[in-house]
Amino acid sequence: MAVIELKDYTFQYSTAKQPALKDINLTVEEGEFIAIIGPNGSGKSSLCYTLSGFVPHFFKGESSGSVIVDGVDNLTSTLAEMVLHAGLVFQNPFNQISGSKFTVYEEIAFGLENLGVPREEMPERIDDAMNMTGIKHLADRSPYALSGGQQQRVALASILVMQPKVMVLDEPTSQLDPIGTREVFQVVRSMTGKGITIVMAEHKMEHIAAFADRVIVLDEGQIMRQGSAHQTLTDPLLPERGVGVSRYTMVARLAQAEKLWPSNHVLPVTIDEAAEGFSQTLRGHHAH
Amino acid sequence: MRNKLSFYIDRPSPLHRLNPLTKLAVTFAFIIIAFSAPWYWTSAVLFVCAIIPIAFAGKIGKEFIRAGINLMLPLFAFLFVMQSLFHPGGDTVLFHFWFLSVKAESISFAFLTTMRILVMVSSFLLVLLSTHPSYLMNDLTQRGMPSTLSYIVTSTLQIIPQMQNKAGTIVDAQRSRGLNTEGNLGQRIKALLPLIGPLVFGSLVDVEERAVALEARAFNAARKKTSLHEIPDTTWENVLRWVCLILVVVSIGSNIWLS
Repeated sequence: MAVIELKDYTFQYSTAKQPALKDINLTVEEGEFIAIIGPNGSGKSSLCYTLSGFVPHFFKGESSGSVIVDGVDNLTSTLAEMVLHAGLVFQNPFNQISGSKFTVYEEIAFGLENLGVPREEMPERIDDAMNMTGIKHLADRSPYALSGGQQQRVALASILVMQPKVMVLDEPTSQLDPIGTREVFQVVRSMTGKGITIVMAEHKMEHIAAFADRVIVLDEGQIMRQGSAHQTLTDPLLPERGVGVSRYTMVARLAQAEKLWPSNHVLPVTIDEAAEGFSQTLRGHHAH
Repeated sequence: MRNKLSFYIDRPSPLHRLNPLTKLAVTFAFIIIAFSAPWYWTSAVLFVCAIIPIAFAGKIGKEFIRAGINLMLPLFAFLFVMQSLFHPGGDTVLFHFWFLSVKAESISFAFLTTMRILVMVSSFLLVLLSTHPSYLMNDLTQRGMPSTLSYIVTSTLQIIPQMQNKAGTIVDAQRSRGLNTEGNLGQRIKALLPLIGPLVFGSLVDVEERAVALEARAFNAARKKTSLHEIPDTTWENVLRWVCLILVVVSIGSNIWLS
């Protein structure tokens, strides 16, 4: 069942001269993990804001086409309604903390309080959200006294607890160290098992290849490519357009030019794939 | 990180367990009675026989006295001297000092004023020491105060220390680029702009992100908000608040009637 459906969607910020998103057609199935990649200014954030209702209700502008998320038409709905269906987590973990709560537990409860969820129902939902994000042990800490990765997982739990069908994540790991990044990806991946659909704008190709089901490549507001992580992330068009490429892909491509990459292997994105390919090459040389 | 802006001390005590509204009601009753009751010794008796025992019952006696001395002693010394010397009227001259004279009436007026302010400051201090700010705001919101207002109060308490950290980082960053933040007044003022600029602009960007984050957490949802914590309120506390109101009315009434 399609949870997200964009048809011929175009959006232009009221302060901009060109549209940020042009003729976007996109369908996402329930429980799918979609990664959005593209150079800076390609429209990744605008697409994230569109799916969560912030465009056009918070960041205003002209829009045409249609955006349906979890059965709700974004363009005719309100932001308050949209955030119930699609949760948004963004880059800076620090600015996502409400600031009015003194413990992680209370911080996660904040969204439930705003939704008017009865007090008796809160502990179970908060516990679920903390378990899923692995932050149970932080419940009594101040949300400000945490590492970036921990704060980002608190931000995830704070949205998760509101039980949206879609989670939109706008570069959630860009300010995190490798450990924090891995933690966030693992948590996000586990959400799809609960039927939550994930849309995540990201730069970290190796993690995308390891975790995402499908990759959308945006360039100048348009979908340039889409497909499996391997098809898209090893596309030679990516580096031409200034999209970062995994270093393993780069090395393998150089090796391929020198006929040092096995012809029966697709180009690698992750270190494991690269190791497998190169070890085959090395074994081949050894045999000769 | 310690929250430097909150005076709150977490201790298990009957005072801590009181409903915040009860504490506020008693505080305001004390203040109004101290200022309006016609009997001269009211404030002094309130302070000695009510406020100090309450502080010790709340297990915050030591902190209360320390904070009280730090906050109030300099103020009172100043107030007392000024009032004694310059309060007009009175003819019972106690002694002369250069061209000034200290009169018995001035001293008694100075004592009264000092005691009234002492009651005001110290009873508020009791509330601050024994009530977590978010607990207080939570209770008031549940009683109908706009949640935006309580958000502003509690978030300010948390955000100011963060702003201080940020300002510190900016000072370090600009210094490492050779900005001279020391020297005479002129130099210091000149150094201010490259420090304030990033702080203000950075904070403006943060405000937008924070607004997005609040919206994402349904802060503006058109629903009746609930609260995670139930703040206990008992019948006898309700009675106590009514008693406070009656005492206040009696105090003001007797003031009008006797004058």
